[in-house]
Amino acid sequence: MTAGWPLYLLVLGPVLLGAVTYFLPRRAYLWGMGLGNLALTAVAVHLFAQVRWGEPVQQYLAGWPPGVAIRLVADNLSVPLVLLTALFFTATYLFAARAGYMDKTFIFLFLLLEAAILGVLLSGDLFNIYVILELGMIGVAILIMYRQDKQSVYDAMVYIMMNFIGMAFLTLGVAYLYRITGVLDLAQIHDRLAELENPRAVVVPYALIMTAVAMKAALWPLFSWLPRAHGAPSAPSIVSAVLSGVQVKVGVYLLIRLNLVFIPVVNAQSFFLGIGYVTATLGFLLGIAQRDIKLMLAYSTVSQVGLIVVGLNLGTSEAYWGSMYHIINHALFKGLLFLTAGVIIEAYGTRACSQIRGVMRRLPLIGVGTLIGVLGITGAPLFNGSVSKYFIALGAAGNPAELGLYLINFGTLLLFVKYATILFGAPPAQVRIKRDPFVAAVALLFGLTILAGGLLGGPVIALVYGPVYAARGVFGLHKLLLFFATLAAALAVYRWVVARWDDRLEALCRFKPNFNQITVLITLFFAGLLTFAVRSV
Amino acid sequence: MAFVDHFIRNLTLSDLAIGLFFIGLFGAMTQRNIIKTIIAVGIMDVAAVAFFMMSNFTPGARPPVAMTPADVPMADPVPQALMITAIVIGVSVVAMCLAMYMRVMYRYGTADWDILIRRLQD
Repeated sequence: MTAGWPLYLLVLGPVLLGAVTYFLPRRAYLWGMGLGNLALTAVAVHLFAQVRWGEPVQQYLAGWPPGVAIRLVADNLSVPLVLLTALFFTATYLFAARAGYMDKTFIFLFLLLEAAILGVLLSGDLFNIYVILELGMIGVAILIMYRQDKQSVYDAMVYIMMNFIGMAFLTLGVAYLYRITGVLDLAQIHDRLAELENPRAVVVPYALIMTAVAMKAALWPLFSWLPRAHGAPSAPSIVSAVLSGVQVKVGVYLLIRLNLVFIPVVNAQSFFLGIGYVTATLGFLLGIAQRDIKLMLAYSTVSQVGLIVVGLNLGTSEAYWGSMYHIINHALFKGLLFLTAGVIIEAYGTRACSQIRGVMRRLPLIGVGTLIGVLGITGAPLFNGSVSKYFIALGAAGNPAELGLYLINFGTLLLFVKYATILFGAPPAQVRIKRDPFVAAVALLFGLTILAGGLLGGPVIALVYGPVYAARGVFGLHKLLLFFATLAAALAVYRWVVARWDDRLEALCRFKPNFNQITVLITLFFAGLLTFAVRSV
Repeated sequence: MAFVDHFIRNLTLSDLAIGLFFIGLFGAMTQRNIIKTIIAVGIMDVAAVAFFMMSNFTPGARPPVAMTPADVPMADPVPQALMITAIVIGVSVVAMCLAMYMRVMYRYGTADWDILIRRLQD
């Protein structure tokens, strides 16, 4: 059980790497960082192979006996995400290796964020998760305001205070749970909850903990931190890519993991199903209203997370695994979109969607990368989004929920029809073009992965997660027609509605809750979840 | 009055901590002053810590340190060990909030959330 690499290496590794290489001279530093990242990825690949074709790895820190020690665990739920995180961070590091903002402090914070994400994924202990979430929160706040221009400090302040309230909810919930069960280890909590005489007592800690987790996963109405953080004007594009690609998935992962812990006692599946729909719909509505391309991508993340949560809570295994696959897919295409958006913003010197035109002609490679990302996220045939969305729709078949999925797909297409207008048209005269082989290589790599994930959808799910499903229906005529019909509808709506009512839509993005209103929303979410959970027990 | 008397006599420290938590939450919901909201959020954190400390509380228990006789009940050491960590984290986050507040204050010259948003949009 304890064979192989010690798991804490994956959590400690990035921090040590950042701290040790900090003192190397520039040239050795870049090499050391690259090699260190590759080594971490190799460890993650090895761990993945070991767990996927062997058995889950459990380790107890500092040689304490089980029950007392902090447990680290890598199982089938967490290792795909661990592998994804390690690969994603290596790729984004290479992407930005030559960028101007990559100084040593920045990279150290960046690696700290990687350690925080891996730490949450590998912890089997509730208090440990709390500590690492706080660490990640501080790291993210500093990364958001790293350049300290415009309103980034304000954005970071709202982010950190809002999440601090969430963390206070989490601490209180953990304390309640500890009072009831007397343990903090997730597996032991699960066992003891089943033996409780009065299951109603668990409802309050459940609602407290899930409020914090729903905030991390950016569910409605708690998502107002996400556009601030992911679309922050001053945050470098690799930070946005990592936050949207991997960090928000930590919240989704905790949602799955902790619901599994509570499932014998409290089951709030239909609550999260409804919340997921609202999140997905509001996400694309607000996204269409934005004029800033990074904010459009950030709201699209909100929408896609909503879709993932819907799939997870539909209650069918096809939809569940489709959502699990969508977690990986979303990391790939949203990562690619944010990375290319960073290059585009730098080249054009603006973030306004209406002023960027002709990316295809000026920056062909970046344009192709953006196009692949757009095709992926809209679920175009042959690209990876189509596979995961196909399985989610398959799991919802014959259910009124299926109609909601059509609406979400339509909204995503509409949002990205607007986004894709930056690709075409006549480019402005002054565009600064910087040739960088790393950027091109990483963009190409992401693009190829997205295509491969679409062409080999079924086998990839079987490889990464285990369950075998035939994805032949993805390439069926029915799906093809459906996609093109939705695309036509989206084009028509864009042409006749969105493009004309631009000013009225603009009013929609004026609606931004201030800090007091955010706190009220958190309290309302908590009250709603509590009411639902009490009735479900 | 007997009811109130009974209620007050049976109040435990845990109940007070829960009350404190919601006082903090109320402050964060209603105060427009940034400093006051930071204080309110800090209160919520401290209340959660206090509640955690009182879980598994047994009256008359002795702290589990060296020289404690073996025949008296020992207090649960886990909450104390964990809450040291939580207190340190809470202090550092509050410190960071205050540092950010200073930045915002110097640049926009206001301590009010609403005025701040208006000045950001200009």
